[in-house]
Amino acid sequence: MNQPKDKPPIGPTEPGDLPLVKAPDSIWMSIEATLDAKPEPRRIGMFRWQWVAASLAVIGVLAWYAMRPKAPAWRVSTLEGSPSVTKIKVGDWLQTDASSRARITVGDIGTVDVEPNTRVRLVAASPTEHRLTLARGEISATVSAPPRLFLVDTPASTAVDLGCAYKIKTDESGDGVLRVTSGWVSLEWKGRESLVPAGADCRTRSRTGPGTPYFADAPKALQEALAAFDFRGGGPDALGTVLNQARVRDTLTLWHLLSRVDPADRVRVFNRMVDLVPLPSGVSREKALQLDPATLKSWREELAWKW
Amino acid sequence: MSDPETIEIIEACRRGDREAFRALYEAHKDKVYSIALYFFHGDPAAASDATQQVFLKLITNIKSFRGDSEFSTWLHRLVVNTCLDGSRKSKSRERSEDPVDLVRIVDPTSQDEDMARRQVASRVQAALSSLPPKLRMPILLRYFEELSYAEMAETLQCSAGTVASRLNQGHKLLAQKLERLRR
Repeated sequence: MNQPKDKPPIGPTEPGDLPLVKAPDSIWMSIEATLDAKPEPRRIGMFRWQWVAASLAVIGVLAWYAMRPKAPAWRVSTLEGSPSVTKIKVGDWLQTDASSRARITVGDIGTVDVEPNTRVRLVAASPTEHRLTLARGEISATVSAPPRLFLVDTPASTAVDLGCAYKIKTDESGDGVLRVTSGWVSLEWKGRESLVPAGADCRTRSRTGPGTPYFADAPKALQEALAAFDFRGGGPDALGTVLNQARVRDTLTLWHLLSRVDPADRVRVFNRMVDLVPLPSGVSREKALQLDPATLKSWREELAWKW
Repeated sequence: MSDPETIEIIEACRRGDREAFRALYEAHKDKVYSIALYFFHGDPAAASDATQQVFLKLITNIKSFRGDSEFSTWLHRLVVNTCLDGSRKSKSRERSEDPVDLVRIVDPTSQDEDMARRQVASRVQAALSSLPPKLRMPILLRYFEELSYAEMAETLQCSAGTVASRLNQGHKLLAQKLERLRR
């Protein structure tokens, strides 16, 4: 970036109008406390290198037979009770009973807390894909990795991590709910996709897959009508309640509904969205109603500032 | 690319050197905190929380930072994403609360000094707080980090034209609000 800086004007403010504020010392103390809670790799002094190298050589020879290629394993630590395993490798199941909780260390990208009465399986642990199956129960995932590296399959959805923290719960049939606490998750199933930001929930149902995402603080009437629309054939009446109850940030829900309602209802959804947030420049009514992917994407990007 | 000193510090961070983390933190903490503080209407708890999250994400992910883009762009993106996440989580609070008086936080001991400067800062802070997040953030990035259009576009993941339009709109609104506050 050595090109001439095309600096924008500073605007109506002058340098010094907004004083730089010193960050409190307590922030670094909190960061250090968090880092200390994670085990740091042990450092080995230089004077011990020769011994270490010799020992490693011996261990290497002895371990040669035992070191046939194996699937990578993730560490499992106990949070409560006694989970069934201490590590999990590809193909293994981890099961907790009613009084057990466990933490899976997902390679070096994050952790998954496994809540009581949960059954999970490690499906893939490669550099390009970290994948679990959640057969039933609840997990909380905290992942810092490039988007789409960490995936969780449930009986009625696949939660694709887009750099985030979330909880997902399901029963054996696939009925469940996702709650995102940080970043974004894409909930996908048979060509249907729900993009769920922090603060929002999305239900899943067997045979239907992910429903329409909604903010956890959305009016109860909206949430109930949305469930009726998504999973119980609520039709235009349920849609009407959703539209009437929607607030500005519920354009998250309406944006998803735009491509899920019957063509006859699409204009109703569109009009309500535009009532709540004026159509941004560059987004045309005609193309939005035609569900043009690029138009919907740029509209979503503008609306996301309100979410 | 980032400057050689930054690259050296990042390399040390990759090796898990706590002192290097500290150096990185010290170099950027005040700007990150200030952006978060003004973004969250002067709420020091929200700003501290966001700053902590930014640096924890940075430390956790530094091994995956390949240097394809500038380090500063990566850091700014972390700041923007963390602030927007925080803003989403506290949406209702953000709308209902009056801005905290930042000037007292900035310089709590100098109440009798430089009254004019503090009044200006209060006015700018109040005007800034009333802007929507999508206009507030580019103004803060321009003000504290002095980013170019291209750098801001990379950070905000939109076109330079969109940045220009948001800054223009934000500056106009800010000027109107400041004018009103001066009366």
